[in-house]
Amino acid sequence: MNDFDLVRKNLFRRKLRAALMIVSILIAFMIFGVLAGFHRAFTVGEDRAAADRLITVNKINFTQPLPMAYFNRVRAVDGVRQVTHANWFGGYYQDPKNFVMSLAIEPATYCDVYRKEFDIPPEQLTAFIRDRSSAVIGESMARKWGWKVGDRVPIASNIFSQRSGGHTWDFTIAGIVKAKVEHVDTNFVLFQYDYFDETRSFGKDTIGWLILQTNAPENNDRVVKTIDSMFANSTAETSTDTEKAFGTAFVAQFGNIALIVFLVVGAAFVTILMIVGNTMALSIRERTREIGVLKTLGFSGGRILRMVLGESILLALLGGLPGLAIAALITIALRASLASIAPAFAVSPDIALQGIALMIALGLITGIIPALNAMRLKIATALGRG
Amino acid sequence: MRSLLLQVIAVTSINLKSIAQRRWLSLSTVIAIALVVIVLLAFLAMANGFQRTIAGAGADDVAIVLRAGSQAEINSTVARDQVRLIEDGPGIARGADGKPLISPELYLVVDGLKRSTRTKANLPLRGIGEQGAALRKGIAVTAGRMFNRGSNEVVVGKALLREFEGFDLGSTVSFGATRWTVVGVFDAGGSVFESEIWADLNVVQSLFNRNNFVQTVRARLTGPAALNELKSYSDNDPRLKLDVKSEAAYFAEQASQTSDLIQKLGWPLAIAMALGALAGALNTMYSSVAARATEIATLRAIGFGGFPAFVGTLVESLSLAAIGGLLGAAATYLIFDGITASTLGGNFTQVVFDFKLSPWLIGEGVALALIVGLIGGLFPALRAARLPIVAGLNPT
Repeated sequence: MNDFDLVRKNLFRRKLRAALMIVSILIAFMIFGVLAGFHRAFTVGEDRAAADRLITVNKINFTQPLPMAYFNRVRAVDGVRQVTHANWFGGYYQDPKNFVMSLAIEPATYCDVYRKEFDIPPEQLTAFIRDRSSAVIGESMARKWGWKVGDRVPIASNIFSQRSGGHTWDFTIAGIVKAKVEHVDTNFVLFQYDYFDETRSFGKDTIGWLILQTNAPENNDRVVKTIDSMFANSTAETSTDTEKAFGTAFVAQFGNIALIVFLVVGAAFVTILMIVGNTMALSIRERTREIGVLKTLGFSGGRILRMVLGESILLALLGGLPGLAIAALITIALRASLASIAPAFAVSPDIALQGIALMIALGLITGIIPALNAMRLKIATALGRG
Repeated sequence: MRSLLLQVIAVTSINLKSIAQRRWLSLSTVIAIALVVIVLLAFLAMANGFQRTIAGAGADDVAIVLRAGSQAEINSTVARDQVRLIEDGPGIARGADGKPLISPELYLVVDGLKRSTRTKANLPLRGIGEQGAALRKGIAVTAGRMFNRGSNEVVVGKALLREFEGFDLGSTVSFGATRWTVVGVFDAGGSVFESEIWADLNVVQSLFNRNNFVQTVRARLTGPAALNELKSYSDNDPRLKLDVKSEAAYFAEQASQTSDLIQKLGWPLAIAMALGALAGALNTMYSSVAARATEIATLRAIGFGGFPAFVGTLVESLSLAAIGGLLGAAATYLIFDGITASTLGGNFTQVVFDFKLSPWLIGEGVALALIVGLIGGLFPALRAARLPIVAGLNPT
C-alpha cells in the first residue's frame, strides 16, 4: 500500500461525509464554470474585436442618424481601407415578440469589412448583390425559423413604415452566412440599404452608423481625429471609436456584470471553504490516534503533512472536476437560447485552468491547518488522547 | 401523550444545548445558509426595485398612444395630423379652458457619462407638450424651476443627476451641436421619470429636425373606463390604427421583461447554492447524531422513544437554518437594500433604480433556508430515531 492508497482510503472511510463534501464542492465549481462562461461571453467580443476596425456614430448618441453623404466623405479619408454602413431596422417576424436582429446594409462593403467573421458562398453573395429585395440570414436564424435559400420571408419593423403603407418588408433569402469564429452571433438578417431607403416613409438618406477599417491599427488615432474634426460644428457631429471601446461601453450599460459574477462566485466559495475546512479539521481530529500510530511506525512529520494535504486536494479535485464538466454541459445546453445575448457562452480552456488552480488552492487552504496540526502532533499526546 | 411531549422537549433542549460542542461546523452551516439567502435576496431585491421604479410610473387614467407594433416609446412615430385626430378623440379629459389634456412627446436618446464607470450611457431626452408634467403624478421641481417654453432649457430627474455627470443645476450641456441649460431638478416619487431629461417639445422638434412627427401622445382620460372608447376610435379610423394602452399597462410590460430576466438568473443560482449548503447541513447533522450516539442510546435504554430523538435532531437543523435565513435577510437588508444601480431598460435608455427588499421577499428567502434545514435534518433525524441501542452503547 503506497501513500496515495492511504490518502484515498482515509478520504472515503466515511463515505457519506466524503460524498456530501464532494457534492458541495461540485456545486461551487459548477456555479463558477457557468458564471465565468457567461462573463466570458460578454467580454470575448471585446477582446477579439478587430484592432483595425472603427465605428463612427452620431455624437449625440449612437441611436441618432447620420447623413448618407458621410459614407463617401469618410471613404475618402487617408488611412481608411474600407467603409461600410448599417441602419437598425427593429425587425420582428409575425409577432412583435419575435425580435429579429435586422440591419439595412450595403452588401459588398459590409461583407468585405466582416470578411474575417462571415463565411458566405461567393455565388450567394453575388445573388444578394444582384437582387435588390433579397436578404442574407445568419445560420442560427435559418435554423431557428427553418428558412432556406429561395424562401420569401416577411420581416416587420417596429420603427419604420413602407411608403406604400404597412410596416412589413418581404425579402427573398439569397444566402446563409456562417460564422468563421466562435464569438460571432449569426442570429441576424441583412438586407440592402438602397431598397430600404427607397421604400421607407421617413428618414430618407440617413444611415445609422459607419464601420470602417483602417490600413493599420497605428493609423487609428489619426483617422479618428480626421473624421471627427471633419464633421465638427455641423448639424450631425460624429464620435469615432475603436470597435472594442464601443463594445466595452455598450456592455457596461447593462451594469457591472463582472462584479455580480465575482460576488456570487465569491459567496459560493466562502461556503465551501467553511464547510470543507471544518469537516477536514474534524476528520483529522478524529484520526489523532492513528496519526500517532503512523508516527510511531516512523512516518515523518513532512510525510504526514503531505498526506493530509493530498487528501484535501484530492477531495477538491474529485468535486471540482465533475463540477466544471457539468458547467460545460450546461453552457452547451443553454448556448442556443442565449445566442443573441451571449454567443460565446462556454467553459473555455482558460476557465478550466483557472478552475483547476482554484481547486488546488481550495485543497491547500482547507487542508493546511489540519495538516500542520497533524505534522506537529507529539506521539505521546496523540496516543494519550481519546 | 404528555410524557411523549415531555420527552420531546427534553431531547430537543439537549440537542440545542449541544450545538456549542460543534460550534464551528454548526456556524459554517449557518453561514452557508445565510449566503444562499443573501444571493437569492440580492437578486430578488434588484428585480423588485427595477419593477417598482418602472411599474410605479404609470397611471390607469392616462392613455399612451404609440405606433402599432412599436412596443416601446423609442421606436414609435406618430404623425402631426394623427396627433390632431387624437385630440378630438372620445374619452379625453379637458382642462378649464376646454383644451384636451394631452401631451405629444418626443423620446430621444442622448449620451451621458456614468459616474461610477466613466463610460458613455444612453439617457432619454423627452420633449414634452404643455400638459406633460401635469399628466404625471407627483412631479415636483425640487431645485431651480421648470423650463420656459420655447427656450433651450432642460430639467433633469433627481436620479439621473445622481448617477450621471454634467447635469448640475445651472450647467450647460451639449447634445451634438445643440446647447442647453439645466434650469431645474425634479422629483417624480422614485419613478422611472427621475431617470429622464425633459425639455419643451417644440424646441426639441426644431433642434433635432423632427418637425413633422412626435413619438407618442399621452392623454388624460375622463376615467380608466374611457380607454376602450379611445381604443375603438383609433381602431376604426384608417388614418390612426395606433396602439392605445393605459400608461400603467405600458409600464407594466416594460418592467416585466427585465425583472423577469433578473429573477430567472437569481433563482437557479440560489437553488444551486442551496444544494451546496444542503450538503453542508446534512454533514453537520450527521456529525451531530454521531457525536450524541451514546447519549441517544442511553436515553433509549432508560425508556425514551425514537420519536423524541427524531424531533430533537430535526429541530436542531431547523434552528440552524432559521438563524442562517434571518442572518442572511438581515445582511441583505443592511448591505443591499436601497443601493442604487442602473441598467438599460426597455426603451434602450438607462433606468436608475434602488434595490428594494419587501417582507414577502424576506419570506421567500427564509422559506428557502427552512427547506434546506428541513431536508438537511430529516435524514440524520431518521438515523437518530433508528439508532440501535446496543451499537450506541458500545462506541468503537
